[in-house]
Amino acid sequence: MWLVISSSSDPSGIWSWQGLRQMGLAPLEFITAESLASGCQWEHRLGSEGTSLKFSLPDGRVISSSAVRGVLNRLSAPSPLAFDRAVASDRDYAQAEMFAFYLSWLHSLPGTVINRPVPSGLSGPWLHPSEWMMRASRAGLRTSVYRQSSYDGAAATRPGIYLPADPRMMNNVIAFEGEVFGGMVPDSIAQACIRLLEESNTTMLGISLCTDDHGRWTFAGATPTPDLRCGGIPLLRHLAHSLVSGGHS
Amino acid sequence: MILVCGIPSESPLRMVIARLEDMHADFVLLNQRESLNCDLWFEIDNGEIRGQLLISGHAYDLRDFASVYPRLMDDRLLPELAGEPADSPLRARCRAFHDTLLRWMEISPACVINRCAPMATNSSKPYQAQLITKFGFRVPETLITNDPDRVRAFRAEHRRVIYKSISAVRSIVKELEDKDEERLELIRWCPIQFQAYVEGVNLRVHTIGGEVFATAIESDATDYRYAGRDGGEPAGLRPVDISDGLADRCLRLTASLGLEFAGIDLKITPDGKVYCFEVNPSPAFSYYEGMTGQPISAAVVRRLAGAAAEQEDPLLALSC
Repeated sequence: MWLVISSSSDPSGIWSWQGLRQMGLAPLEFITAESLASGCQWEHRLGSEGTSLKFSLPDGRVISSSAVRGVLNRLSAPSPLAFDRAVASDRDYAQAEMFAFYLSWLHSLPGTVINRPVPSGLSGPWLHPSEWMMRASRAGLRTSVYRQSSYDGAAATRPGIYLPADPRMMNNVIAFEGEVFGGMVPDSIAQACIRLLEESNTTMLGISLCTDDHGRWTFAGATPTPDLRCGGIPLLRHLAHSLVSGGHS
Repeated sequence: MILVCGIPSESPLRMVIARLEDMHADFVLLNQRESLNCDLWFEIDNGEIRGQLLISGHAYDLRDFASVYPRLMDDRLLPELAGEPADSPLRARCRAFHDTLLRWMEISPACVINRCAPMATNSSKPYQAQLITKFGFRVPETLITNDPDRVRAFRAEHRRVIYKSISAVRSIVKELEDKDEERLELIRWCPIQFQAYVEGVNLRVHTIGGEVFATAIESDATDYRYAGRDGGEPAGLRPVDISDGLADRCLRLTASLGLEFAGIDLKITPDGKVYCFEVNPSPAFSYYEGMTGQPISAAVVRRLAGAAAEQEDPLLALSC
């Protein structure tokens, strides 16, 4: 069994589920963040001998980790439905408990998980712009100057994440298991994107790059949950192959 | 130069400052209660970080800090902000200062004891437990569920069962008792963590800079941290030696989590099995040092000073 886990309002989640199903990946279950948060019955076990997970969805489907071979995980957070019934004084605690629980059960899933959760994000690293800038620079991507100070107001925009005035100058690519999908980028930039993926210790990373009038490419941001549609069918094929063959996760 | 941040009267920080003064170390104290008199900026240009910390008008180049020991409390709870509305400019200014400080510490080349990112494994105890088992430690049999019937079956199987928070939010570990039966239905709203009770002797192991300090805790309480409450006997603490193999595993576990300093909670069963409950990334070691005299704060200072010495003479790092 393979799983696609995403919010019901995530177009990439729905697109990839439909695409993978058409490619013949079966059985393939689409699990929404909202169904996990509404009346789902959980049993997550840990011990010295290993971990296990079993959950029953409100629609009657039962998912057991022993049957899972691979997962496309696009959960950024538990749905607020999971804790919005908590009284106001308990809501922060309930939210922290839910995040901690999701981090554990997602981490325990066997097989290929794209992406595995880390404490900074349930679907891979969600880093502060300053950390992305450092990593992008180490990976060999050109970066603009990032500056932060205690004089910045709460609403201050963060310089350093460079956004061009003309959106046509923005390119989004997806680095996934040693390849770059999406926009057309020079080979040196593609290699730097792959190094950033490796530097980020995750399986898939969406990377935004800007070009200027001089043809220079500048790092503009990164996300572990990119819009998969920009990778098109080639990305979907690679995803299917990785989920079936075991990939690198 | 060494930077220490926090409230100087807080016990762990007080001990570290005392040791730094004993050794006449070159250090700067950022008193969090005076953070409204502080400013900080940094910038990243081509992967190089530069910036300045201003404390009461005195400027320090961030590149001069070779090591940092932060023990910061939640800035929203600082007494200096008591009575300030949530949206007050003073609160916004204080938040911006702390955010800038934390962001710099995450990316600084300095030795930071500890950074936020590796500390975050402790934000989910069962997640951290899965990392812990890779180092040969046992972890208690654990069930996280929102199904009361599964809890009943788990209790019937293990006889003694405790429950505690899943997240980093501190909770008092309690044993599940018959009187809790009625409340079990409440777990349907949110999965709860239950664990088989492990018999044995509690051991707190502090690891810092390659040094290991093990403390045995004798207590009948389910959660020894609260043993003296409600008229119970306070926990008894004593230093103990542990095997080289166990010490090595503790050091490797600390390093694998990306931590410089850790407080590892172990339990040794009567038949010698070693269980690990969690790795605390911000250990309040002063309790253990105060009760046993184990020189943990001196080891923290050795690590801070060692990084500072390496900055002044990089050959020192090569000779280590």
